[in-house]
Amino acid sequence: MAAGKTAKPSATAEARPKGPPARTQPGTSPAARSRDALHVYRADTSTEPENPLRAGTRLERIPQPCILVVFGATGDLAQRKILPAIYNLRRAGLLPPESAVLGFSRRSLSDDDYRDLAREAIVAHSRVPLEEGIWDDFAESIHYQQGEFGDRPDFKVLEERLEQVDAARGTHGNRLYYLATPPSAYTQIVGNLGRVGLDRQQEGWARIVIEKPFGHDLGSARDLNDAVMGVFDESQVYRIDHYLGKETVRNLLVFRFGNGIFEPLWNRRYVDHVQITVGEDLGVEGRGEFYEQAGASRDILQNHMLQLLSLVAMEPPIAFEADALRDEKVRVLRAIDPSWTAARVRGQVVRGQYSAGWSADHKVVGYRQEPEVPPDSRVETFVSLKLEVQNWRWADVPFYLRTGKRLPKRATEIAIHFKQPPLMLFRDASTNPEPNLLAMRIQPDEGILLRFAAKVPELGLDVRSVNMDFTYGTSFMKDAPEAYETLLLDAMLGDASLFTRADEVEAAWGIVSPIIDQWREWDEAEADGTGPSEEEVAGTLADGLGTGICAYDAGTWGPAAADELIERDGRRWRRL
Amino acid sequence: MSIPTADHPATLETTTTRWHARSTSISDTVHQLALIWSGAARESQTAPASATERADAHGRATPDEGRDVRVRMRTSVLTLVVVAGRPEIAERAMSIVNALASRHPSRAIVLSPGDPDGPTTFDAHIYAACHLSALSGAEVCTEEILVKTGGELSQHLATVVAPLLIHDLPVVLWWPGDPPFASRHFRDLAAASDGLLVDSGSFRDDGSGGLRGMSAVAEDGHSVHDIGWMRLSLWRELLAGLFDHPLLTGELGNARQLRLDFARPGSAVRISKAACFAGWLAAMLNWRIDKPLRADSDSDRISGAFRHGRKVIPVEFRPVRAGLGPSMQTAGSLVRVELELAHGRVVTRARVTRQADHLLATADWNGAQVARRAGRLEPFEEAPFLAESLDRTAHDPIFEMALDRAVELTASL
Repeated sequence: MAAGKTAKPSATAEARPKGPPARTQPGTSPAARSRDALHVYRADTSTEPENPLRAGTRLERIPQPCILVVFGATGDLAQRKILPAIYNLRRAGLLPPESAVLGFSRRSLSDDDYRDLAREAIVAHSRVPLEEGIWDDFAESIHYQQGEFGDRPDFKVLEERLEQVDAARGTHGNRLYYLATPPSAYTQIVGNLGRVGLDRQQEGWARIVIEKPFGHDLGSARDLNDAVMGVFDESQVYRIDHYLGKETVRNLLVFRFGNGIFEPLWNRRYVDHVQITVGEDLGVEGRGEFYEQAGASRDILQNHMLQLLSLVAMEPPIAFEADALRDEKVRVLRAIDPSWTAARVRGQVVRGQYSAGWSADHKVVGYRQEPEVPPDSRVETFVSLKLEVQNWRWADVPFYLRTGKRLPKRATEIAIHFKQPPLMLFRDASTNPEPNLLAMRIQPDEGILLRFAAKVPELGLDVRSVNMDFTYGTSFMKDAPEAYETLLLDAMLGDASLFTRADEVEAAWGIVSPIIDQWREWDEAEADGTGPSEEEVAGTLADGLGTGICAYDAGTWGPAAADELIERDGRRWRRL
Repeated sequence: MSIPTADHPATLETTTTRWHARSTSISDTVHQLALIWSGAARESQTAPASATERADAHGRATPDEGRDVRVRMRTSVLTLVVVAGRPEIAERAMSIVNALASRHPSRAIVLSPGDPDGPTTFDAHIYAACHLSALSGAEVCTEEILVKTGGELSQHLATVVAPLLIHDLPVVLWWPGDPPFASRHFRDLAAASDGLLVDSGSFRDDGSGGLRGMSAVAEDGHSVHDIGWMRLSLWRELLAGLFDHPLLTGELGNARQLRLDFARPGSAVRISKAACFAGWLAAMLNWRIDKPLRADSDSDRISGAFRHGRKVIPVEFRPVRAGLGPSMQTAGSLVRVELELAHGRVVTRARVTRQADHLLATADWNGAQVARRAGRLEPFEEAPFLAESLDRTAHDPIFEMALDRAVELTASL
């Protein structure tokens, strides 16, 4: 770590050699230092000159001033999430006062118009009320530039505007581009940023935040990655999946690697199987058109669920930092066999679509009756599948995943089911104990539940399962920040741990894309009347769950085939 | 001995169950606590299923009751021991502890030692409460034990506390006022704790004895948190923030002089805060102590020097009285800090100045202002600082480094 420590501090990113960033400061442990020295390749976060006085102060979590350039500045995402998040960061003193916001969008607005729009957005969507004093100060930092995403001259104007704002506010050339636009505009924007040289890191840093979805299949994800990385270096790219910013998802890592007692059990020797559920009680809520393009597999499975799976199954990373973490996560995804034969899809994947039913206390329509959804839609609102992570740790331990809309409740949970004790000693007992279970609830009621056996007092040797339920909120009653706040701050600080890397995105698509392709093939065959023959259907019944989409009543836990998927292995979905 | 009583003031949002008991011996106190919690456990078994309750994996109904057995859990994260020298401090401590209870579910033991020359007495009030939030279903249970002791027992508080600690949980000792660091009585209690919280702003005399006391506790391996130091966070943050400016970062190695002004509303000259601040700069910038602080014979200034490589950096502490306003009556509060750096002909001056409850930081580089920052000091309340030190029970390495230098700097006073 000596290199950066003694080097003359420099404000330019280019001047510093790539490699271990020079961020060792007083208070860094010797262990961390030697690890840095060993770590040869990782994202360059070394644009900050050294200031030893920062150590131990909040400044360590305060980024350098920068201009946040929001593309799609008048859109829904900008209004609901990004502007309130920035305001809250400012309010909490986590952004330096020089920081600025520059909105870029098609609508013709003045700076003042955009400030009004931002104010309304913050009043409507911020988790804390707007304070006039702070707003006045914040409003001055907000700017707007009208432009077309596909128009190069508009980007030239943007570049000039950025220079003006930079000079006026003193943001040292640092820029964070946020693509809050529909995905179809990503390639144009990135291309134009590159054409006018806004990707370059001369004075300060330039980073780009891309919202999911990252492509709609493997091919398009690769195209997008190619387009982005033709302009930016991977170390400049922050693919945001707000799910990973949630406090409890991060707590999952602390739970696994901050506790010595669980890790020795975290393998095929003790774990029987793992269940991951992401349940939503809502339907498509007026977003039928969007959902028609996505479906449960693109909307939840490819990103959230595979992220949770990789966090649960990954090996301990060598350091708690971006590339070490992401190396391990991507290894998990690569250990899942991406070759989906028709028989495998038939046997291990169930897709479903909700029909009319009762969601809690009100009657709801089926998916095909939702606005903007065609009456013959074959888009899945539920998907359930069995995966195997084929590595030394997990071989033969099935991971059962299920996600859907209009399920009985909103619940995200990972349940580790341990094996039965090797011998049942309590034969006389009226109930044999259930195997141990460790459930990590992500939402709601974040917490951890451990199920173990206990003797019922006095009644001979009756054994009962008891749940020890730790609710995160009972030991730390504190407002957790919004995921967007955490992630925006991380991007400004150059910490990419909670962002998805290009190879992760592609590996996840590599698992999900072939399944979707197979479904499409079957659907087309059915539409053409060239559907499966009688023998094939017979074969289906013998070795699989079917090729079609299964209906399930709204307000239930998915189609019967999803139960069959797990029950034929002698297991059951955990009742939530 | 009285029997614990429970009452349930029901509200729409949070259901709170409270218990209160009184006892006159430690063993009875332990017994009362056991009675409270065994009663609470029985109650929860008959209580309706709460939102946190989970069914078993197979959704199977248990044979006799048709539902799961639930273990009522008290999540506790620490035991807090408060030594309140005067009854009014005990009262204040109880209300602060109460306010923080749900954020840090803990057992709080507030010790109020009485007249050591009187008869030996022990009188404890036990308060317990469980708050069940209807919104999240989370239940938080807390206990507060107020112990009033008299006579010789007041000198043996460590033995009073020991049987009341929750197994294995970290023990934080909060000693408001001026702790008798050198006494056996203090050392025994500190030895039984993992962390100590004090406020150097209320240390006696010039405060240097207190600095040495804190340093000794830290050397024994206990974590030490000081409210006085925490109150310096904004000062540190603002000064450090100035040097984030690319022009200035490189100048930090070229310090030429350090001046600190601190409030002296009465006759007391308390330098603990200023010394910690100077100690912090010294630790972060690798300055050694060249000359420890000494009072000037012809003025009320106190001066000394640091050394950085071959360069000597004079440091001057100046007590000031004028223009402080009512909010600055605390002896030893920082009023102004100025760090002067020089490198060839380039002179940089970084200043942080207090103006009522605001701090203003500015940096001049060759006569031109290049950076300016401001911040608001939080009103003086102990609760947020107690909360902060309970959040981070671990060592604060930066503080310990600053403290070491501060002790060395004030060694000759």
